[in-house]
Amino acid sequence: MSATPQVLDVRGLRKFYPIHRGLLGRLVGQVRAVDGVSFTIERGETLSLVGESGCGKTTTARCILRAIAPSEGDIRFRTGSGAEIDVAQLGRKELRPLRRQMQMIFQDPFSSLNPRMTIAEIIGEPLLVNGIGDVRTRNARVSELLDLVHLPGAYLNRFPHAFSGGQRQRIGIARALALNPSLIVADEPVSALDVSVQAQIVNLMLELQDRLGIAYLFVAHDLSVVKHVSHRVAVMYVGKIVEVAPTSALFDAPRHPYTEALLSAVPVPDPRLRAKRIVLEGDVADPSDPPPGCAFHPRCRYATEQCRQETPALEEVSPGHWVRCIRAQELTLRGVAVAGEGSPPS
Amino acid sequence: MAEPILSVRDLHTHFFPNEGVVRAVDGTSFDLFPGRTLGIVGESGCGKSVTARSILRIVERPGRIVSGEIILRRADGRTVDLVKLASDGAEMRAIRGGEIGLVFQEPMSSLSAFHTVGNQLIEAIRLHSTLSKRAARTRAIELLALVGIPRPAQRVDAYSFELSGGLRQRVMIALALAAEPRILIADEPTTALDVTTQAQILELIRRLQQERGLAVILITHDMGVIAEMTDDVVVMYLGHEVEKGPVDAIFHAPRHPYTRALLRSIPSVLAAPLSRLATIAGSIPHPYARPPGCPFHPRCPDAIGGVCERSFPLEVAIGERHDVACHLYTAGAEAVA
Repeated sequence: MSATPQVLDVRGLRKFYPIHRGLLGRLVGQVRAVDGVSFTIERGETLSLVGESGCGKTTTARCILRAIAPSEGDIRFRTGSGAEIDVAQLGRKELRPLRRQMQMIFQDPFSSLNPRMTIAEIIGEPLLVNGIGDVRTRNARVSELLDLVHLPGAYLNRFPHAFSGGQRQRIGIARALALNPSLIVADEPVSALDVSVQAQIVNLMLELQDRLGIAYLFVAHDLSVVKHVSHRVAVMYVGKIVEVAPTSALFDAPRHPYTEALLSAVPVPDPRLRAKRIVLEGDVADPSDPPPGCAFHPRCRYATEQCRQETPALEEVSPGHWVRCIRAQELTLRGVAVAGEGSPPS
Repeated sequence: MAEPILSVRDLHTHFFPNEGVVRAVDGTSFDLFPGRTLGIVGESGCGKSVTARSILRIVERPGRIVSGEIILRRADGRTVDLVKLASDGAEMRAIRGGEIGLVFQEPMSSLSAFHTVGNQLIEAIRLHSTLSKRAARTRAIELLALVGIPRPAQRVDAYSFELSGGLRQRVMIALALAAEPRILIADEPTTALDVTTQAQILELIRRLQQERGLAVILITHDMGVIAEMTDDVVVMYLGHEVEKGPVDAIFHAPRHPYTRALLRSIPSVLAAPLSRLATIAGSIPHPYARPPGCPFHPRCPDAIGGVCERSFPLEVAIGERHDVACHLYTAGAEAVA
């Protein structure tokens, strides 16, 4: 057993969906939703997966949770006791102990809580299902969890409808924490919330990570939120990671043209910083029929003839900074820090 | 500055469900000028969408405009109060979609799945003009080209579900422009879109505005979009206009505690990684349980005890075209205390 502090080690993950046509259901092609994704997450670390809709970020997260079965690849998960399991190989029955250690937080706090259960029942359910403790210890744990997410103990016997979106998200987080997971997969956990409430949940997630050493796989499209929560960020495009780097490196000095365009498109909340945006033309490539060479080349302002022919590999350009672009070494791209001059809003 | 093309004066739109009254919009006033973009920003339940629906007179039961004026200056210089028109009368129908175009958040649910994009456009064009079917089809193709849809002559026969989200929103904008409106109301036009597609759509709205001198009302919860796009801003909270002014003043000299708190709590790509966000205490109250007095007082760090929970503050001018409704700035604060 090695001494690496990695919680998760994903290698060569693929998820293809077959396309059938006609009366006989002939296989005519495949949607390459996730096409060879590899990354690791360390203990207490947050890795964010970002990209446009259809890039495969949610499919990747669902494969790791084994909500869907991957087509190919290894998903090595290290449990709290140090044992390593290959999640990709597990059968249905073997998944249960895994689910204690790997939890998820959902996007929609309104539909992810059972309206007929009290808050105490919702938060205590994972304990009950896994047969942990007796009634008294379970109740004590539920109170402790409620406290951890800063909800008053008086809420225990209320039903979800009595709560606002932010409070429901806290309840969802308390439930996810019930079994002391080492990894939480959070798929757009704050995108349905109002700004003032979103800030509270972002802070809560940061605080819980500090206190409990949880690792997060954070799936999001909002790059501003990603900047606040992540240690490292992986950018996906048409099923592949095109760039992965520590957060500051990725935002300040992106090395892939797609990352540059993505960052440039984010509106900055300061009217004095109305920079000239890089507006990407066209739409995301079709994952059932990706363009030859680099999948981004039809939308890339730096594309050359070589990009149409050669499929780039993910290469390390500086320590911990990996890029899938054959021109990565020669291009100088623009990050967010140099987007413009001006004083920040007071 | 030119005369406003649209003036909203002390608009109150309330909803009367069985359980009580919801004052969705409770005293909003603003002016919209040709060639300029007015942003209305706020969190859920602030009344920004109901304000737009009131202007278009499409407030659904059990809601209705209780009082106020919505003065539209028409192309011939006459003014008309939209509140006084019958919501389904001929004049209002000519204005809605004619002089005022509308773009909604959800292009999928706003476009028909049973008619081609072209037929929907042709219908909208012919509703507000006397063009023949053939001429309207030509015009529809021109409109699709105008909003940047590639291969418009083929796409005109496509159904909305055959298009991507960004292209659908472009079709919505083409529909809104079909009758050559002078005002465009865009209600969260990019909320359902990816950030790259959002940039395309915002760029399109900006270009159309410059080319056609459109007056735009942009409704959004996203302060980034407001900073990027607008000239003037109205900040709303629980049906009330709490602050309004030029975009630079709103971002660089905000005066209302809510505006300040909102600006501090937004995550930014310029922030340091793993930095905590400033928060606003509590959450947005339920519509039936709106606080008395200033609606923000229970969450306000600067609330004045004995004042803010008693009366709603009057709006006062604190700069050029910069108004704020807060007891901190009213001389009457001492009088009440």
